[in-house]
Amino acid sequence: MMKRIALTFLLASTAPFALPSSPAHAEHKSPLADAPAIRKRVELRDKRFEIGVGVGSTLNETFYHGVMVNGHLAFHITDWLAIGGAGLFNATAIATGFHDELTSTLKAPMGGDRAPTVNTAEAGMNKPSMILAGQVELTPFTGKFALFGGLFAHYDFYLYGGPAFVTLKSTGKTDPSVAACQEKATDMMIRTCSTTGSTVGGTFGGGIHSYFNDWFGLALDLRDVIVKDNPAGRDVNGDLVADKRDLTWSSHWMVTVGVTVFFPKADISP
Amino acid sequence: MKRRAVCLFVSILIGGAGGTGAWAAGSKDKADANSADAAGAGAGKEGGDAAGGAEAPPPDISGDLDLTENKTSEDAAAAIKTSSTLTWQDIVVIPRKPVLKGGRFEFAPFAGTSINDILIQHYVFGLDLNFFITDAFSIGLQGDYYVKQLTDRESLIGLQYNRIPTLNRYLWSGLLNFGYVPAYGKFALFNKSIVHWEIVVSGGVGITQTEIIPRDISFDAFKTNAITPDVGIGSRFFLFDWLTVNYMFRDYIILDKYEPLNRSASMYMSAADAKAHADSKLVNNIMFYLGVGVFLPTSFQYKTPR
Repeated sequence: MMKRIALTFLLASTAPFALPSSPAHAEHKSPLADAPAIRKRVELRDKRFEIGVGVGSTLNETFYHGVMVNGHLAFHITDWLAIGGAGLFNATAIATGFHDELTSTLKAPMGGDRAPTVNTAEAGMNKPSMILAGQVELTPFTGKFALFGGLFAHYDFYLYGGPAFVTLKSTGKTDPSVAACQEKATDMMIRTCSTTGSTVGGTFGGGIHSYFNDWFGLALDLRDVIVKDNPAGRDVNGDLVADKRDLTWSSHWMVTVGVTVFFPKADISP
Repeated sequence: MKRRAVCLFVSILIGGAGGTGAWAAGSKDKADANSADAAGAGAGKEGGDAAGGAEAPPPDISGDLDLTENKTSEDAAAAIKTSSTLTWQDIVVIPRKPVLKGGRFEFAPFAGTSINDILIQHYVFGLDLNFFITDAFSIGLQGDYYVKQLTDRESLIGLQYNRIPTLNRYLWSGLLNFGYVPAYGKFALFNKSIVHWEIVVSGGVGITQTEIIPRDISFDAFKTNAITPDVGIGSRFFLFDWLTVNYMFRDYIILDKYEPLNRSASMYMSAADAKAHADSKLVNNIMFYLGVGVFLPTSFQYKTPR
């Protein structure tokens, strides 16, 4: 009898918990599991035009640093893809330390020295004068940051690449023995020539936009322009003459900082 | 018989209490949904009346919950089905920083290259050991080992200008650095995953050992231990609680000594003599390097409740 009572008690106690679970105890799945990472985001780029201006400098020039003024136009097809163009113009040139060291030694020629005079050497040097680039831009990263825990801003990081139309210019010094480089010099006395004029190359780079508000921001850009060049205008391939066969692919790195404006008004994502 | 009936009655009471608890939780969800719908409908009606037909504002679900009334309707039943797994823990208004660094060590090996020398390039392999006093402020030691490579431009100096450049190579450096994190941010990768990062600025002082590269290979070289202040700026990207990817631009300001320009077989030929008459020059050696950071201990705990 006692056994029956115990069994009855046991069955009665456990019966409610053996029933199918109520909704409150169903497997928990967060309703945010498949949601986008950011909701109600201001679409700072999608279907908007961008106009930017800035100033910068070349980084790795051999003889003259260039102070560059730049302009940038782009249309953002989506929030992460844009097509655009950039123009960079050399405002002024500053001689590098290497240039100063080299010319100081050229001012004291040695007997039988095959080194050029200072004028001849400087007449053969060149610098990028104007760069016009068409580019495709990708924006894989967008986010926001806090500066000193108090100032907050949206930003994005972008990459780009495309063709570049580069104009090379003489440094301004002239020498009667220095002329424009020939395709293939036959005169063995031509040891310095000037590489100037327009050429086509490529450009790539990346940068950051930091937004003050929905339409205005700061742009920091690092660009490489690759063209066939001979910055010294002297023999490179060892045939003891200077001509266009001495042209080699050269990287011209430059960094610019500026401001950028976006229009029309930004949409907000769902 | 009496005892049997009493035991059975008590058993039924106990089992019934457990089932009632489960039923009450479900009803609470139901009541939440009903309350939200009722509040929303009320707000919509008020908004509609006030605006004279303008679009109704979104429903206000922040009001008190009414658990006593049963306002089940067909709409509420549908809402119950979809929202029955929703709890307050799913809504995170302000996420916490995912990684805390205070009180932890960072073990950060890196590799890099110089970026501002036209004639000689140095590759660097080094190690940063940092201790984070707070989440933003750190103190640490850095050791660097350099490998030199002469550039194409250096090889052309002799061909083009009949000159030999005066160059130094770097051997190693050791520095004490202080770091500070002025900015912290996050970005969305194609709006799917969020990556946290921070900007680091660093400054310190140390020693760099340099060695001249004699213009005449028959001459002896001399070494210099140069005081080296440095400043840097870079970033950390947080992959896990204990692992980051780092990059940094660092300027090592070296007061270096160069081979005398008038050194010859008859003047300053010995290394000691050349060093005594060396030309001193302040050099900025700007390096870029990439590395990883391993934090120890590998985990941490928040001291404040969420």
